[in-house]
Amino acid sequence: MVGSISLEQNTSAAEASLAAINDRFGGSGIDASVQNHSNAKKYAFVRIVCPPQHWLALAKWMKYDLGVNYCSMVTGTHFPDGPDERGWEVAYHFLRQPIQDQTPNTCTVHDVNALSGMDIPMEYEVFIPLPQGDSPTVPSIQSIWVGADWNEKETWDLVGIKFEGHVNMHRVLNPNDSPEGFHPLQKQHKLRYHDHNEMYDDPQGFMRKPADEGRVK
Amino acid sequence: MAQMWITMGPQHPMTHGLWTLRVKVDGETVVDTEAELGYIHRGVEKICEARDFTQVTPYCDRLCYVSAMTWANSYIYAAEDLLEAEVPVRAEYIRLISAELQRLASHLMWLGAFGPDIGNLTLMTWCMRDREMFLDLLQELGGSRMHYNYPRIGGVKRDMPIGFADRVIAKTKLFEKRLDEYEMMLDESTIWLVRLQGVGYANAESMVEAGVSGPNVRAAGVNYDVRWAHPYSVYDEIDWEPAVEKPTSVKGADCYDRYRVRMEEMRQSCRMVLDALNKIPGGKNTNYASGDEMIYTKAPTRAPEGATGFSNYECTRGASQFYIQGGGEGRGKNPYRVSIRSPMFITIPYVAKTMIGYKIADIPAIMGSFDPCIGETDR
Amino acid sequence: MAEAGENFAAFNSRALVEMVGGVTDEALKATRIKKFLGVLAGRYFNWAGRKSLFTLHLGIKCCAIEMAAAATPRFDGDRFGVLFRSSPRQSDVLLINGPISKKFADKVVRLWEQMPEPKYCIAMGECAISGGPYFQSYNILEGVDTVIPVDVYIPGCPPRPEALIDGCGLLREKIIRIGGAPSVQRASEKPVIVGED
Repeated sequence: MVGSISLEQNTSAAEASLAAINDRFGGSGIDASVQNHSNAKKYAFVRIVCPPQHWLALAKWMKYDLGVNYCSMVTGTHFPDGPDERGWEVAYHFLRQPIQDQTPNTCTVHDVNALSGMDIPMEYEVFIPLPQGDSPTVPSIQSIWVGADWNEKETWDLVGIKFEGHVNMHRVLNPNDSPEGFHPLQKQHKLRYHDHNEMYDDPQGFMRKPADEGRVK
Repeated sequence: MAQMWITMGPQHPMTHGLWTLRVKVDGETVVDTEAELGYIHRGVEKICEARDFTQVTPYCDRLCYVSAMTWANSYIYAAEDLLEAEVPVRAEYIRLISAELQRLASHLMWLGAFGPDIGNLTLMTWCMRDREMFLDLLQELGGSRMHYNYPRIGGVKRDMPIGFADRVIAKTKLFEKRLDEYEMMLDESTIWLVRLQGVGYANAESMVEAGVSGPNVRAAGVNYDVRWAHPYSVYDEIDWEPAVEKPTSVKGADCYDRYRVRMEEMRQSCRMVLDALNKIPGGKNTNYASGDEMIYTKAPTRAPEGATGFSNYECTRGASQFYIQGGGEGRGKNPYRVSIRSPMFITIPYVAKTMIGYKIADIPAIMGSFDPCIGETDR
Repeated sequence: MAEAGENFAAFNSRALVEMVGGVTDEALKATRIKKFLGVLAGRYFNWAGRKSLFTLHLGIKCCAIEMAAAATPRFDGDRFGVLFRSSPRQSDVLLINGPISKKFADKVVRLWEQMPEPKYCIAMGECAISGGPYFQSYNILEGVDTVIPVDVYIPGCPPRPEALIDGCGLLREKIIRIGGAPSVQRASEKPVIVGED
């Protein structure tokens, strides 16, 4: 039977990361905490809320000093009814994987119980709240993690958050000739048949006229 | 010789799904590549904002349609994180068995599509024949051959039918012998070896940098599997080992290593299923009614604004993650935002760059060995 | 005088063919054998066409896996003549097995136009019929029949491989109802609604 990361290893790694972050960035507006999942084995992970101006510094420190080597997910949410300082939120998820300095042509099978310190896998969640407005901007981490590249393209494509410094930004999921400024996951765009007033008689909308916009059946 | 761009367009027998690979060739050698995705972008993330939490499960089945059960499970763990639901142990065992059976079916589909790419049409017929065995088993559990809508928030929809365990054991043991037949056919075939070895090198560190995970990284000699690193379900109670391949070269894993790691994963999945059936609480031949507390705990249906749920799950093709935010329409009955992280979305641009330097004829081998599935890529 | 390029010989091949052909044509028309041969040829092409429906190898989404399963030993579409071809120029049937997104819509139309007559379209699965579970999506068309004409609809999500083979059987019945050589007959007739009569 292969071992899995035990609760003690997981908690100790989370606490150690928290201590390192607070040590380095304590008091600068970067708010880190250890949270517990409510699912599976209820393990701990590190959640960081960071203002956008400190994000690049935090990202570089995480990559090189905390050993976070895997950028997993970059996504964004639109809060049109939210507070003024949180009209948009960019959420990053990173993993720290024990895959550093792999000697070529070797097979590394970890003795899971012996993993310690920065070798213990850990999940990191970073939230960057952005103020209300029409042009949310966040510095790009494309040069730090290669895995952030297409994730950022997708976030811009679907949500509309601009990544400053991102090279070669283009549409990945929506068609290339989508209208400028069309980012479907923003809340003002509604789904087809959202209000259920179009589903009868003329489902494909061939008889619809511009004057019928918003008309309830 | 002049260089030119060739479009291996959306309709192409090799691409395993609907995406465009543009290759710039200098004679026969690939000099540059460009991948274009989005041909089946369905906007699932937006649609889920207008659905209840239970109604999202069928959409997640249809994300990666070849391994539907693992994606449904992945979403359910995130929803359970958000709604703070408890899951009985027997349900976790059944989820594990269903996920591993699905992993077997998915790897067989991969092999059945990979063989014809290399030219081995027999593999298609053999693999699909064996895959039908596992689809029948999954049909007993979930009701349909491909999209089951089986796990529920707080458990599973219904228990294993009577006799299911015996059928699983018989078919799994038969399949283990069939795996030997496959290896006999393939590992002694010169064409197979020549076309796969030395082609498509990818080393572990560049893959981790790029965000690739799953069997593709384990083929490069590193044992990283979400099932032990961020454990969920009951993987720590059953007897298994992650399948890791030592790469054949210092340059990294080639297509042959990726093929070998999936064969070994199939063996491990068989082992996991047999062991789980021995250890399942309540016994393998009992059938509890739907909704019984042994297999299902009623979960809350609303999530307040500000609550988030996250799941990290080992899908067949890598680490899939769901990030759900609560507080949507219906006073919290719908999610506010469902965000899906697909392993293949990150891997396909990486694979496109791996092909540079090889011949056009190597493109199907490299592409197929990374096991693309466009359904999850395009969401 | 003869025109430039024309042969002086009495048995000018072009004139000979035209003369003999014209006489034969009149004779055949008079005895009504020409019409008989025409109908026979039409029936023959119809039989050949419906017994060998070459499908385009187009896999869009989940139904493509069931399409692949229909070609495998358990269900075996090949015994009905259903074979997969890689090029639209060589196929008879365009089997749409997934949702059509806005990005892919013009490519579907292009594939349809590249197929030579007689050609048929089968919409397999809910996504191709009406948009399926994604009918509300901003990127998915509500059914492939918004862009190309469809002959047979196979409902299901996904339809079982047996259902796909049954759908091909319905297509064969439709071709029988067309009667003659499909490309000639269909241009002149109203569309055949399967199930209505």
